[in-house]
Amino acid sequence: MNISIKQLFGRRPKSSNIAKQRLKLVITQDRMDVDDRFMTRLHNELAEVLAKYFEFSANSVQVSLKQKGNSYVLVADFPYKKFHDINIG
Amino acid sequence: MGKVIVVTSGKGGVGKTTSTANLGTALALLGKTVAVVDADVGLRNLDIVMGLESRIVYTSMDVIEKQCELSKALVKDRRVDGLMLLAASQKNNKDDMQPAQMKAICDKLRSTHDFVLVDSPAGIERGFNNASAGADEAIVVTTPDVSAIRDADRIIGLLQHARIEPINLVLNRFSPELVGNGSMMDQADVLDILNIDLLGIVPEDSGVITSTNRGIPLVYEDASPGSQAYMRIARRLTGQRIPIPDLEHKGLLTNIVNWFTRKR
Ligand SMILES: Nc1ncnc2c1ncn2[C@@H]1O[C@H](COP(=O)(O)OP(=O)(O)OP(=O)(O)O)[C@@H](O)[C@H]1O
Ligand SMILES: [Mg+2]
Repeated sequence: MNISIKQLFGRRPKSSNIAKQRLKLVITQDRMDVDDRFMTRLHNELAEVLAKYFEFSANSVQVSLKQKGNSYVLVADFPYKKFHDINIG
Repeated sequence: MGKVIVVTSGKGGVGKTTSTANLGTALALLGKTVAVVDADVGLRNLDIVMGLESRIVYTSMDVIEKQCELSKALVKDRRVDGLMLLAASQKNNKDDMQPAQMKAICDKLRSTHDFVLVDSPAGIERGFNNASAGADEAIVVTTPDVSAIRDADRIIGLLQHARIEPINLVLNRFSPELVGNGSMMDQADVLDILNIDLLGIVPEDSGVITSTNRGIPLVYEDASPGSQAYMRIARRLTGQRIPIPDLEHKGLLTNIVNWFTRKR
């Protein structure tokens, strides 16, 4: 893969640091997975804000955390029916 | 009125039973009355680690099934005043016990002992629920590796959910040498991830293995680094303010550890 000359011959990152970084990421994910209430609340609050701008049915909305390489992304799926015609400002 | 402390971890084999045996004995050596309870139904070990296996007649299951009184099921450790063991049944399994039944036992023991230490089985299922059912506080044992720490975090979440607090950490099998060369996380790393209070650090110590072989808890041996670590933790549990020595600074301590390791 991408093992560079530097990694082969130079100083490799300490494995304890790698362990710590990996743990921080995975534990963030674990905690959020476990905490359903957190996800439900996030879901509801996002829906509340977005409802100002879009029309959608509440049960079509999905909010989740996905791993992307070394980090996690919040994926919010809001299939909307129509964009509210609102005057901003 | 004493307090009930569950000793738990999530991951197996990180030192729960070793810690329960040594902290129970250490607290008794400090003059406290202590009951250690094996909650690992079906896989009991606390009796053999403490060297009391030949004296078990009744278990917590017999108490629950009203085959005998709680006081009769408690085995007195004759080597120190004030230490009792309540063994787990080996022929039953974890589903044969209800959390409420364990809680009832803990409640009784709390009224007669200063400390009740409950040795939890690994996992997050029924066995953990039983073990923590009667607990006021928790000691989470972990080793400084990724899988143990991840599982410890999960257990901490469950303990918080059950409103058991404080939850204190014992970092076991710590190797100053490996930390020194960057191949083991140090206590700051672990605490940064788990975000709970550190009760103490127990170094990797071959004395743990030899003392377990003999069935004599390590704390009876004054000079071993593991013994000293457990004695310090016990003192902290009694409310004494004992600083956590910085095991990371190698040199003297590593030399002492090595010296004791070589001896055996
Ligand atoms: N500080 C230490 N130094 C060296 N060996 C240790 C140390 N702590 C524990 N061990 C060894 O690790 C093994 C597992 O310990 P122990 O049985 O206490 O873990 P446990 O968490 O109770 O396991 P289980 O989840 O199976 O109940 C034992 O062989 C024990 O002797
Ligand atoms: Mg055990």
